[in-house]
Amino acid sequence: MDNDDRVLIADLKEENKRDLAFNTLVKKYQERLYWHIRKIVLNHEDSDDILQNTFIKVWKNVGNFREESSLYTWLYRIATNESLTFINSNKRKSFVQMNDTSEFLMNNLMSDPYFEGDEIQLKLQEAILQLPEKQRLVFNMKYFDAMKYDAMSEVLDTSVGALKASYHHASKKIEEYLKNID
Amino acid sequence: MVIKMDEFKNIVPKLSNIKKENPFETPDKYFDNFSEQLKMKIEAEKEIAGKQHGIIRFLKPALGLAASFALIFMLVNIPLKKFMSQKVADSNIETELTETDYLSVIAGIDESSFFLLLDEPDGGIEFSEEDLLTYASANTSEYELFIESNN
Repeated sequence: MDNDDRVLIADLKEENKRDLAFNTLVKKYQERLYWHIRKIVLNHEDSDDILQNTFIKVWKNVGNFREESSLYTWLYRIATNESLTFINSNKRKSFVQMNDTSEFLMNNLMSDPYFEGDEIQLKLQEAILQLPEKQRLVFNMKYFDAMKYDAMSEVLDTSVGALKASYHHASKKIEEYLKNID
Repeated sequence: MVIKMDEFKNIVPKLSNIKKENPFETPDKYFDNFSEQLKMKIEAEKEIAGKQHGIIRFLKPALGLAASFALIFMLVNIPLKKFMSQKVADSNIETELTETDYLSVIAGIDESSFFLLLDEPDGGIEFSEEDLLTYASANTSEYELFIESNN
């Protein structure tokens, strides 16, 4: 854990420094977490809600943070869990019968006014949505965010070897999907 | 299994040809305003938590008192109930009255109070034909009965 984060956590645990430290933490991590969430749920409004919930959870639980992992890993883990919980609960709540997560997320993407991608990028998103949940997470974190496998391993609690294999399989599946729609 | 860039291009040429651009956008100044929005939400959360804490603090003594009473009641009532039911069972000696006892009770009632009892609308006592016959036979001789039936 870097020294700044260590100081930040210490300040967050002190009542009189808490507000200022939390503001610093939000400013430091909001963009990274937002893009991580956005790639999972695809829609801006939902990403905004999830990001807020993520930080509220951080605010409530920072006192119990045992610093066994880095602050960054802890935040990513909360954001990932919040995003997956959101998808699953919305799939259940939906009035329209959804066949799977990909259908729900595709609807989410299509209804988003802040998606500016061209046709090929839409196809790529479609292809990513065909992947199983874990492979989708791994692909997004590696392909778009270029996250290191070690860091990813801590966030997803999966071995580096398994993550590499997941990324490889995910890339092949996407390639296959793109070939088939040509 | 480290995939180098060239190798990656060979394995997934179509994917490699797609520009790694972020196709997503956010509303203007979203990140500038985010922390302010979050602050408001956290303040609201704090207020709710404070109210809940206040209600709990307000109700705590009353709830504690109620719980203590319930506990004392249970501690006293359960053993007492057990003890009493045992006591009642022990003292529940069936008192069967014999025919002679009934007759002596009936013999103790004089004639006028017997009829008064019968006339009383809410007396709540009902005599069967058998009771009346028993009474008559105990208090009148066969001769008197014969005379009465002939009148």
